[in-house]
Amino acid sequence: MNNRREFIRNAFLAMGGLSLPGMMPRLSANPLGGGKAPMRFIFMHRGNGLFPKVMVPPSLTPEQKAMEDKKLPFEVDLDAHTLPEWMGPLAEHKKNLTILQGLSGKMCTVGHHGWCSALGVYKANERNSSIKWATVDFELAKLFPSPLEHIELACFPTGGGNPRGGLNGIAKGFSARGPQQPNYAFGGPGIAVDEIFKSVSTDKNEQVRYQLQRKVLEFAAGTETELARHLKGIENRKVSNYADSIEGIRERNRKIDMMTDCVRQHVPKLESKYLSNDMDTFTRQVGHTEVLLSSLISGLTNVVAFTVDELGHDYTGITGIEGEKVNMHDIGHGKPVKDVAAEEVRRRTEVHHMELMNRIVTRLKSVPEGNGTMFDNTMICYFPSSGETHHAHGFEFPFLIMAGDNTPMNLGSRYIRLPYWGTEGHKTLGNFYTSILNAHGNPIKHYGDFDPALKGDQTGPIKELLA
Amino acid sequence: MPFTRTFSPLLHYATIALALPAYSAEEFKINPEAAEILSNYCTDCHEDGTEKGDIRLDNLEELPLQARLDLMNRALEQVYLKQMPPKKKDQPSAEEREALGGWLWEVLHSHNAYKLEDKLRYPSYGNYVDHNELFSGKNKQPAFTPARRWLVRPQIFDSRVRDVFGLQGHDRNAQLNGITNPFSLPDASGVRDYDIGSLDGGTLLVMLTNAEYISERQIRPARVKNGEIGANDFPDPKDKFMPRTVPAEFESIILKKSPPSDDAMQAAISRQFQNVLRREPNETEMVKYLGLTREAILAAGNSEGLRQMLTTVLLESEFLYRLEFGTGEPDEHGRKMLAPREAAYAIAYAMGDDAPDAKLMEAAASGNLATREDIRREVTRLLQDTTQFRGSVDNYLTTGKVKSHEVSHPRIIRFFREFFGYPNATKVFKDVDRAYRQYQNADRGTFGTPGSLVNEADKIVSYYVDQDKNVFENILTTDKFFVFDMPDAEKKVKKWREIWELLKDTEWKTNPEKVFLQHEELLKKEFQISIENEKKRHGTTLTKVMSHFEAHFGKGLRPFVVFPWAHGYHHNYSPMYNLPPVMGSWGFEEGSPHFSYEPVQPFKLENRKGILTHPAWLIAHSLNTETDPVRRGRFVQEKLLAGRVPDVPITVDAVVPEDHTKTHRQRLDKVTMHQQECWKCHEYMNPLGLPFEMYDDFGRFRTEESIEAPENVVGKHLKHFNLYKTLPVDPSGELRGTGDPKLDGEVKDALDLIDRIAKSDRARQSIIRHAFRFYMGRNETMSDSQTLIDADNAYMQSGGSFKSVILSLLTSDSFIYRK
Repeated sequence: MNNRREFIRNAFLAMGGLSLPGMMPRLSANPLGGGKAPMRFIFMHRGNGLFPKVMVPPSLTPEQKAMEDKKLPFEVDLDAHTLPEWMGPLAEHKKNLTILQGLSGKMCTVGHHGWCSALGVYKANERNSSIKWATVDFELAKLFPSPLEHIELACFPTGGGNPRGGLNGIAKGFSARGPQQPNYAFGGPGIAVDEIFKSVSTDKNEQVRYQLQRKVLEFAAGTETELARHLKGIENRKVSNYADSIEGIRERNRKIDMMTDCVRQHVPKLESKYLSNDMDTFTRQVGHTEVLLSSLISGLTNVVAFTVDELGHDYTGITGIEGEKVNMHDIGHGKPVKDVAAEEVRRRTEVHHMELMNRIVTRLKSVPEGNGTMFDNTMICYFPSSGETHHAHGFEFPFLIMAGDNTPMNLGSRYIRLPYWGTEGHKTLGNFYTSILNAHGNPIKHYGDFDPALKGDQTGPIKELLA
Repeated sequence: MPFTRTFSPLLHYATIALALPAYSAEEFKINPEAAEILSNYCTDCHEDGTEKGDIRLDNLEELPLQARLDLMNRALEQVYLKQMPPKKKDQPSAEEREALGGWLWEVLHSHNAYKLEDKLRYPSYGNYVDHNELFSGKNKQPAFTPARRWLVRPQIFDSRVRDVFGLQGHDRNAQLNGITNPFSLPDASGVRDYDIGSLDGGTLLVMLTNAEYISERQIRPARVKNGEIGANDFPDPKDKFMPRTVPAEFESIILKKSPPSDDAMQAAISRQFQNVLRREPNETEMVKYLGLTREAILAAGNSEGLRQMLTTVLLESEFLYRLEFGTGEPDEHGRKMLAPREAAYAIAYAMGDDAPDAKLMEAAASGNLATREDIRREVTRLLQDTTQFRGSVDNYLTTGKVKSHEVSHPRIIRFFREFFGYPNATKVFKDVDRAYRQYQNADRGTFGTPGSLVNEADKIVSYYVDQDKNVFENILTTDKFFVFDMPDAEKKVKKWREIWELLKDTEWKTNPEKVFLQHEELLKKEFQISIENEKKRHGTTLTKVMSHFEAHFGKGLRPFVVFPWAHGYHHNYSPMYNLPPVMGSWGFEEGSPHFSYEPVQPFKLENRKGILTHPAWLIAHSLNTETDPVRRGRFVQEKLLAGRVPDVPITVDAVVPEDHTKTHRQRLDKVTMHQQECWKCHEYMNPLGLPFEMYDDFGRFRTEESIEAPENVVGKHLKHFNLYKTLPVDPSGELRGTGDPKLDGEVKDALDLIDRIAKSDRARQSIIRHAFRFYMGRNETMSDSQTLIDADNAYMQSGGSFKSVILSLLTSDSFIYRK
């Protein structure tokens, strides 16, 4: 599969994002090394909307239920409540779980597809020119640099809408590295493993290519450095910046090489079914989850964006209807599949998402770090990429958040319904991301676009979420 | 005029500093003359106890080195730009200012910490060269542009990639989805493509991806031919781009079953250098690349080894820069003329985005691009060529709903687009309910209403650029606008009227089937009507068409040439021009005024005058929910009056306070007029921006401003949308800065303001200054004075031809000489 490998390399390099001179990885932050552990972030988003009603604990009191129905602000401690049935796989981790309702995202592209909107908080479409700035995951990656800076995994749509790469290939993702700079995502676990862990590949051809790539960089660095040597002032900078950048990548590669033993130890050992081009969606999601975990645990990255599904993805492997290729657009319009109601199909996919989440949390809790575990330094957000439902208007973006004990935010065991759109105290996606960024050291006044239909000051974090 | 006469403040101060004693970091002591000047003019406000702006200048000697250098850089900027002392305070003489500046420069220079010169290269500092001095005719320094690398703009990058693949004709339009353009230009209004850009880490990362993709596709057909990969084996099945042919030098290596000879590898290296860098490798390069290729082929085989070489050439920084160094013996001023090849590229990239055409390259190769007259001949030829550069004004604007029109020289239109900044309307997100949903935001697959408005503004610009007479004045003051301009509209309306006349007295209301059958051929041809459509909710029927015609032709009106029930209909935005909604479209209601289509475009609109009153410009210079008189005023000050407005101090929270009993103007005045700290900047903007309050933030003319607050709701429009209490708009303002006392003074509104500005020499010259920046890729300096005066004269003497301005600029010393 030479083509695939060639293509992989591109995305891998692009994926390196901003890990250049001045932002070189802090290998001391490697969980297996010394120093203070970095925070890790996982943004797991799904298409076709996420109904606010399914987020509600069934054990609310009638008064609380009435407030919920009217979308009035209130909060309860989840300790005293049962989780919605589909969140069952996370029951053991309830103390880390927060359900956040009431955030709006009307400044995003919503409805069928959202592109970079849900992570960037602006109107995005299929054109790179619509990307206004780096998405929030990349902003966080800047705060917690790592050798690969950021990894994006996706169950790509196979028709229409968001990025249309080959299902198992690499294509533009849902994150953005900067203005007009889309990120690239891995569509299949196999391609992701090949590329992310290629420094420890046992494939001889792959090793040769890996070495050649380094040779090319060495050559280019030499050429540009030599050219810069003869220049002065601004003209020198125009070339030496480039030469320095090449050196920066070479330095990053050298550091990855130094991590070889650690990386090799954590290469995901995927069974053949996870590498097949014909795997079903549930299998693909599990495979991606394993890649995600290995990338984090090995220290290659601290931030992962994971498109767990998308409206245009033909869903397969759904519990009870494993053999069916489910069109999620039909599900959005309420069409049953083999007598299974659309909402039940949704529920089964969401249960699976929670099983993936449980896999992540459980595994990270098993990795010692400092005086605790790696999960203590992890925050996971599960949310819809395009709003509250199939044809969303962006009035609500429900979030399920799993936060480790060292997350510097007031999260865990909370059900929070914020004031609804248009009412006093209402908060947007931008406020939420501002909270995360502020809490982790980025003092930005506000992240994201504003909703022109909302009156009053929309800037700033959500104070209730700050520790 | 000590600070503006020389090109470089660095050189300027260097001359002065020679007379001053040098200081080491350890023995820092303020020069006595500088100390006296600081004491006389600065320390009253900036000493212990006063510390205005948190700045102290009385303890320079005690500060740590870095803090001292930072402060001195800031002080030098204030001295050079004459921003301090404040206007109302005693001012130092020119000599004193020079002495202080010279000392500051000398200290900074000795620590290699001098920052001002770099700053002055940036677009926002373009107007710091004194305008009157620039056009005074007193400055006779020989003009030149510094020898430079100029980062290619996004369009040139795209063109260069297509050249690498050797794409020609229709193939050149191929979608290259696997390639990310590493460049983007700032989107603020004003000239954007400057030579100050530098390759950086971001560029490299994108280029690594691009280079891998390009090299893989460059040789793909040969690898398929060699049986290495299947013809349909694409990593992304939706991206099947590949060139039709592979250069013979590459193919021979790929098809060879044994390692290639050095000759074969050298031929391939030469080919790739030509493809990418458009030149042969020199001897050193050939040796190095041969070594690399040999090694790569040995390690990975012919195809992969070759591909590594292709990738490496693509990563050369030269691929991403335009090189302009000059050649030959320097003249008495140390200047060198552009090398013929450099001149060919400079001309080509001034006129368009593609590499030089064959004639230009031939002229360069044959020694016929070595003089000013040679350049004049070629520029004239290309300006007169109406086919070579022909293309859409903006390909990105073309979506399913809007098609950006074609012009002979898109780059000329690009100048006016950048200068006026109206394309930014597509980036302003509006609450559409405030425009009764007659406005659609840019969204998936469409730029919405602002996209249509930008396209219509483009048409005004190209209409007057094509005429090439009094171009600036016409664009600034025209009362003619394009609204729903469609090809062959006049013919269509005429035909429709004939059909109406033919059928109006038939039984179309009572027996449409009969009428349809009687005129089936005509109706099918003209409207694609079928009798089955009568039963459908959507689709065009005879009844619908005739009812529509009756409502228009029957009342002396002309229908728009797209039916409002057509699929994808989006022409709901006529109210942005204060025209009624099209009958049957969103926002139309019985009893409201009727829209009558104007098939001959452009046509006169009431209460509008020129591009600054076009909804696209007004939206681009507005906020999400309200107008932006400050930004509008700043545009006029900086772009049309060549004036300067300092940046907002970081300590200022620039927010107009809410008050639901006042107009925007009243609220802005309240917060800016009564505080000296605010007014010292706002006086340069507010009086020029407030006249545009006669338009709201959607660009709609108004005499009353809606005070949008829940307590001010007075009713509903179209059943859903709030109507608010209103207050009268005061669009008065004041024009200062034209340098012409007959034009300066109070203005009654934006139309009055625009009229006066358009008559001023200052506005014309200011546009020419920006044209200089557009074509030279840098700010003008005092040594470019004659270039600008010549361009101004060319405009005046040609009756307002912008092409004459281009010809003048591209044959100037500023364009031709490098130093």
